[in-house]
Amino acid sequence: MVSLFRPREYYRPKDLREATWLLSSFGRKARVIAGGTDLLVDKPPEVECLVDISNLNLGYIRKDKDGINIGAATLLGLIESSPILSSGPYIVVSEAVSMLATPTIRNMATIGGNICNASPAADMPLALMVLDATMKIAGLKGSRILPIGDFFQDVKKTILDDGELLVEIHIPVSSKNSGTAFQKLRHHQASVDLAIVNVATKLTCSDNLCEDARIALGAVAKTPIRAKKAEKLLIGKKIDTALMQRAAEAASEEAKPIDDVRASAEYRKKMVAVLARRALEASFKRCTTWQK
Amino acid sequence: MAKVKIGISVNGKCYELDVEFYETLLNVLRNKLGLTGTKFGCGKGECGACTVNINGEAILSCLTLAVQADGKEILTIEGLQNGTKLHPLQEAFVKHSAIQCGYCTPGVIMAAKALLDCDPKPSEETVRKALANNLCRCTGYDKPVKAILEAAKTMRGKHEK
Repeated sequence: MVSLFRPREYYRPKDLREATWLLSSFGRKARVIAGGTDLLVDKPPEVECLVDISNLNLGYIRKDKDGINIGAATLLGLIESSPILSSGPYIVVSEAVSMLATPTIRNMATIGGNICNASPAADMPLALMVLDATMKIAGLKGSRILPIGDFFQDVKKTILDDGELLVEIHIPVSSKNSGTAFQKLRHHQASVDLAIVNVATKLTCSDNLCEDARIALGAVAKTPIRAKKAEKLLIGKKIDTALMQRAAEAASEEAKPIDDVRASAEYRKKMVAVLARRALEASFKRCTTWQK
Repeated sequence: MAKVKIGISVNGKCYELDVEFYETLLNVLRNKLGLTGTKFGCGKGECGACTVNINGEAILSCLTLAVQADGKEILTIEGLQNGTKLHPLQEAFVKHSAIQCGYCTPGVIMAAKALLDCDPKPSEETVRKALANNLCRCTGYDKPVKAILEAAKTMRGKHEK
């Protein structure tokens, strides 16, 4: 017999305490629902209880002296049009959103959903990784904060324990000398298609000297990854086209993709080099333009 | 199975309904309210045939649970016309023959309606982007885009008078 998606309970908690209590009492049988654009496509039959987080007031973008805080249930559409996340080093966030699915989906989907679904091809984790974002996780016993790099454990598996909920994403203040960019390859560039390969980069330079670099790759491993060897190639060096090309090729070496319906592993590796080079060039251009 | 009572407004009319937790808004519209203008296409958010407006935004009703729509205002293709008078978008679609098989049309028009409500003077590019979640395998999009641009003009004309 085919098992169907037939949750028997549905709750819309009023506060975090109630939400985490529900999530811990139902354990693996509970699932958070926000936009529903992943959950209602997957329709997992094991889910018995839905916890709707729409009443928790987790839809916001706030800037303070320490950086930017984004509520986990903030709609992607809101992020895309946010002036804070469309300028300076933070532009990588809105750039990633603008290439994520379609405007209609972005009216429904949330940033937390894109992260917690833990798809290896997800876009938001890459943009947040290059900005050194941290995740605030609420649980029954209080909250904890983790770097986004520690959040993903495997395909569709995060570090969240039963009863835990991602509540906020914090982006620390980035150096004014930083430039970032996002690149994505998919079969149809303006459709719901997932990434064949996606890349986010950040370069921090004074004049042409690279002080810091971040390269994050998607759809080439079980989780989003950083290409740390490629980053090391750039740090401390004068940036030029040849160096960016070399770093992009190094990033391609660090990618460990698989063959699947969307593309072969071999093609993905080659495309990492192309997309990483384009992203690095755009990041470099942005950090040099802003310094003028 | 567990049922829950919800209250929704559809095309200006209020309904109190008993729904299952897993029931989609699309199912409620078509099978409980008999509003079959909104279509089921892929059920996965890829085709846009089920697009409706919720609180003025284009939303996929196949990926919205009925219980999530509780307390909200829903507009479907049936709610666009004013009495026997077609909405400018509908008129423009007829005038430009922007319809072939017609299956995607309600979704396309509802996506366009949400766009024109927030952007009365969209560029062609904006219109095309707004239709990114609406698959049409007949028209090639050319006529629907022209119809939407003309409807925008008609609607602006009305407000400017």
